[in-house]
Amino acid sequence: MNSGKSQSTNNMTVLWIIGAFLALIIGGVIIAQATPLLFPPQGSAESLQVDDLFKFMLAIGGAIFLLVQGAIVYSVIRFRAKPGDLSDGANIHGNATLELVWTAIPAVIVLVLTVYSYQVWVSTREIKPNEQTVYGRGARFVWSFSYDVPASSVPSDVEVDKLPPNIQDAITNDSSFPITSRELHTFVGQPIKMVLDTSDTLHAFWIPAMRMKQDLISGRTTEIRFTPIQAGEFPVVCAELCGGGHGDMRASIIVHADETEYLSWFSDQVNLVVYPPDDPVLRGEQVLASGQYPCSGCHTLTALSWAGITGPNLNGIGDRAATVRSAATGETPEEYIHRSLYHPAEYLVPGFGALMPQFQPDAGQPNFMPVDDNKAIVAYLCTQTATGESACDLSNLDAIIAAGD
Amino acid sequence: MASITAPLGQAQTTAPGLKVSDFFRWSVDHKIIGIQYMATAIFFFIVGGALAMLIRWELLTPTLDLMQNGEQYNTLFSIHATVMIFLWIIPMFAGFGNYLVPLMLGAKDMAFPWLNAFAFWLIPPAGILLLLGWFVGPAQAGWTSYPPLSTLYSGDGQTLWAMALHLLGISSILGAINFIVTIKNMRPQGMGYWQMPLFVWAILATSIIVVLATPFLAGALTLLILDRVAGTSFFDPANGGDALLWQNVFWFYSHPAVYIMVLPGMGVISELLSVHSRKPIFGYRAIALSSMAIALVGFTVWAHHMFTSLTPELRIPFMVTSMIIAVPTGIKIFSWLGTLWGGKIRFTSAMLFALGFLSMFVIGGISGVMLGSVPVDIHLHDTYFVVSHLHFVLYGGSVFAIFGGIYHWFPKMFGKKLDERLGKLHFALTYVGFFFTFFPQHIAGMLGMPRRVAVYDPQFQQINVIISIASFVLGIATFVLLYNIVVTLIAGKRVGANPWRALTLEWATSSPPPAYNFIGDPVPFEDPYGYGTEESVAYLDALEKRFPPPVDTSATLTRAPQSGD
Repeated sequence: MNSGKSQSTNNMTVLWIIGAFLALIIGGVIIAQATPLLFPPQGSAESLQVDDLFKFMLAIGGAIFLLVQGAIVYSVIRFRAKPGDLSDGANIHGNATLELVWTAIPAVIVLVLTVYSYQVWVSTREIKPNEQTVYGRGARFVWSFSYDVPASSVPSDVEVDKLPPNIQDAITNDSSFPITSRELHTFVGQPIKMVLDTSDTLHAFWIPAMRMKQDLISGRTTEIRFTPIQAGEFPVVCAELCGGGHGDMRASIIVHADETEYLSWFSDQVNLVVYPPDDPVLRGEQVLASGQYPCSGCHTLTALSWAGITGPNLNGIGDRAATVRSAATGETPEEYIHRSLYHPAEYLVPGFGALMPQFQPDAGQPNFMPVDDNKAIVAYLCTQTATGESACDLSNLDAIIAAGD
Repeated sequence: MASITAPLGQAQTTAPGLKVSDFFRWSVDHKIIGIQYMATAIFFFIVGGALAMLIRWELLTPTLDLMQNGEQYNTLFSIHATVMIFLWIIPMFAGFGNYLVPLMLGAKDMAFPWLNAFAFWLIPPAGILLLLGWFVGPAQAGWTSYPPLSTLYSGDGQTLWAMALHLLGISSILGAINFIVTIKNMRPQGMGYWQMPLFVWAILATSIIVVLATPFLAGALTLLILDRVAGTSFFDPANGGDALLWQNVFWFYSHPAVYIMVLPGMGVISELLSVHSRKPIFGYRAIALSSMAIALVGFTVWAHHMFTSLTPELRIPFMVTSMIIAVPTGIKIFSWLGTLWGGKIRFTSAMLFALGFLSMFVIGGISGVMLGSVPVDIHLHDTYFVVSHLHFVLYGGSVFAIFGGIYHWFPKMFGKKLDERLGKLHFALTYVGFFFTFFPQHIAGMLGMPRRVAVYDPQFQQINVIISIASFVLGIATFVLLYNIVVTLIAGKRVGANPWRALTLEWATSSPPPAYNFIGDPVPFEDPYGYGTEESVAYLDALEKRFPPPVDTSATLTRAPQSGD
């Protein structure tokens, strides 16, 4: 019977479609198993959810990939014109049912992906009650991270009058003051809220291991949250083009195993600040190493492991300040270094552009650098000589500062 | 409609009596202008490709070596992208459109021939202006040129960059207006919108996007130039401006610009797949309407380029629209597969590139959906995953379509067929080189390599070496095409007017077509894709009688072949 035969052909077609469909799903699921190989370690609670979402998308995408490539390969083999066959293919213009199906199925897929993505998005943005705030700042081409230290946690034996004015104020008012680090420190299980800003161009704060990224936007502060779940050191990367040193703008996040370990790092940092060394050279070294100022983004200074190449090399700066630069400017080396921090554009080294931020001695201005910090930095840089002896006479410095800006 | 009042005097010397010098002169003949567009675009393709080779050379090692500093590297990729987008893909498709749209409509020329020539002649000075940037401190803020990097921290080349883009934008707008008017008014008797070739539909959809979107680019560029030279601060937050303003306006143009670059390629693919599989295009209306749907929805997705800078609350709506746009794209891909199914596939070089487009573009589509998901994009944004995605769309998509189109329409333009063996070599090298250049970039990006860096974490060196070597293969592949073009132009054999036996109207005249394209008013076949019927075979046979394949005239190249009638 004719109808019986077509019935069985239909059944075969249905079986083929079901079989192909299952094969595609299985293929997609197999492809999706590669997900862990494609991502960095899962460092945050959020990374688990993001990776699962990606894996789901990879399974669907893999199935679609196999469907399309399979259809191409099958068509190319099955429907190729034999040599000498000059005839045309069948005059078929379309099939409404089929077209409806391949509109509806992708529509359902993207709907599912949208809903799933939205759920992950909402859950990763949840605000945890015990979150810690860390301030991240991008400057060309260096990261710095600062933490609020409550004045109450300052040991009682510190000599308050030796501290920088902002810490003295904080102690007087029982408020808090910041300490700065070039690495981001935290510990496993501590939810973090990063408050991000930039002192120049756009940057993007990205921790691949945390699957978290947020642009730093000039003139605004932005926020991002995550909760580390794995101890270790992971890269922090700038992901938004910020200039010539963009590729060098990297730092680390150090996730301590527990709070005790983290607090021991933290109190070491606080002690460095509240027990400042008497020697201005040591204090200068400490200020520069803290990353409080973004010098390392552009300058090389081997003593502090800086490797920037956008600005002049600072190795041997003391010798050059006393010789070449002193001859070029007619200023003493200490005056030259002191003034070039506050007026960099007037002291351009030949071959370099006016890219350095102009530091300001007055609080409240952008790029604030207290005079005390400036003096300490000058003292330290003056010792960057071949012999290690200071090239400067620091006793002149106060007179220079008093005389002018 | 066919009466044209614009000056056409110089157009009368159209092929086959054309000299090489004719292509360096002002001409209002759309066929000459089309080839001028294409030749200019191919020149800039070589420039942009050379820059890409330098980029890949630099990335062989994780440190700076070829370049002296990061700024030089930033210039490479900034100019590479600008050239490839604005001086290669967009003008190349404008060239195809110029050459083909009037022919496909059976028209004698574009609606505004003088305007057409003017739009083309804006391009060479714009290209020169862009490259002159090297003498004044070139643009180095990426092709996206986000302020304040592009305003407060860049040299004067950035201003030249913006001025060059202004000129190119004007050129695009004028060209698009011309296409819209031509398509609306100059269709022949018997060709309604639903009988137009899908390439014409694609050019129509593209032109609508160009006319609506490009003015926004012009606006953004004007503000950028003012910020740079006139002391305004539209984008400078220190003086009350907003850095995100640029991103919004720029992407309001530049996302639709992706479709400006892809839709004509999809039009090319629709032609190629149908002709070379000898089968009607599957779901004609769905393909035509999906172009329009993409054009429309394309205007609502721009902020998915800003998922890491946009206010978080606004990200979800843009995720929804971005996901939706996958549906019309999927319709096209499945319709093309339906076209292949049951066809009689001819493995011409043109067809191979069309199949290559299908298999590579779908990868770009899948990665596009992944990037459309906000939580996944947060990780992948501004990484090599995005570099990979955009090249799968623009190279695996647009450029494969361009290559296929060159093989397909070269016989129309010059009456000679490109060498098929070289064509297949070109395809094989391109396909393999392309895949191994761009597919591993997905992985590099996911593992943590940001884009636009000359200096990278040494863990990514191995994968970058693979990518660079593959890219050199891809670079060499292009020279196979160029060699093929030159050799064929000089010594290629003449072929008949319609070597592919295609039904669309551009083949219903001699190859290359005479001045004013057609002798008399051509009557289109009832269905531009009506393969597989006796009527179509009869029509094609009659056409072949009317424009018989020439006897081998390669010895006497200058003699004009006699057309029938």
